[in-house]
Amino acid sequence: MNSCHEIETREMLPDLLHGSLDASVRAGVEKHVAGCEECREELDVLRTVKAAAVFAPTIDVNRVVGHIAPYAKIVPVVDAPARSRVVSWLVAASFLVVIAGGGSLLVVQQNDAGAPYASTSPSRPVDATPVPIRAPSPRTTAAAPVGQPASHALALGTGVETLTDNNIRQLMSDMDSFDALPASEPEPVMNVDNSDQGTR
Amino acid sequence: MTPSPEIRSEESDMELIHRWKAGDSRAATRLVGRHSQALSRFAASTGERDGVEELVQDTFVRAFASLDSFRGESSFRTWLFSIERRLMLDRRRAERRSRETVPLEESDSVSEYGALDSLIADEAQERVRRSLESLSPTQREVFTLRVQQGMSYKEIAEVLGSTEGATRVHYHNAIQRVKEFLKDE
Repeated sequence: MNSCHEIETREMLPDLLHGSLDASVRAGVEKHVAGCEECREELDVLRTVKAAAVFAPTIDVNRVVGHIAPYAKIVPVVDAPARSRVVSWLVAASFLVVIAGGGSLLVVQQNDAGAPYASTSPSRPVDATPVPIRAPSPRTTAAAPVGQPASHALALGTGVETLTDNNIRQLMSDMDSFDALPASEPEPVMNVDNSDQGTR
Repeated sequence: MTPSPEIRSEESDMELIHRWKAGDSRAATRLVGRHSQALSRFAASTGERDGVEELVQDTFVRAFASLDSFRGESSFRTWLFSIERRLMLDRRRAERRSRETVPLEESDSVSEYGALDSLIADEAQERVRRSLESLSPTQREVFTLRVQQGMSYKEIAEVLGSTEGATRVHYHNAIQRVKEFLKDE
């Protein structure tokens, strides 16, 4: 228990020890210490503690200075991070576009594989609009359902059933004589002269 | 209160810092010579076991490398002590991790203080050492900075990242404990 109630003065004892008090303040503290046994004892303790610190290793100043790098002013860079951020965003956006495009292509290809009868031509999208119901034609009722083209209809819109047997035979013989059919025999392969390879 | 004699020299720390930035390497020598022993004492007093010289050297290397971030709001000396303290804490954390144990900070710091065994021979100083051992790490830091370094409570609060009020409380608890310890011996 402290008998001295001069708390402010007691708090200045370490400053008195280090000689860091102004002259007038120092005189007041010294006067108090002279008449206060507790503060004298505390000052003795502080002196002893301070003296015990002299056993710290001595530092080689030149060795420490030798490890200090020369001063290099750190120039704050303001624009560079902003530019790099823009470039980063552009690169990221490009990647996103590429990934999205590739992903869309994959989805389209998978849809093609799963639905072979769906239209794959972008110029002919599947028409989702309802087809008006027409009165069934007596010629197409059995062959083609309403709203779907007849699979066996000829290109000019004429049905096969309108042809006579002679017409059909003539048509088939004409088809046999088409030149546009691919040849069954492969094209002859040209021989390449490789004799100059060894000279390189 | 006037600045301590170390600070009250013919050339202030800030003037030396400006000179060093202008290319005068002797200014660095002056600054290191001015503060290195105080940093060494603080490290030894607070229980730094090995490599006090290396610790002081690292403190200056780090301080000079980041001098542009020193705004002069606190004194250069206080700033150095705060850097050294952070380095000490980093070291102790690394040591704890390397030992793969999780001891309490209090007991850990007490064991580290045994490093002074070989340094203190005098009986009275041995008693002081043991009395400081009985303090908590924070009390010991505050007490050491106040008594051995002569720092004000404001400066100590800056070093510890604490408040003046808290450092006052730590100091009063510490001085009471040290006095009681020395009386009972």
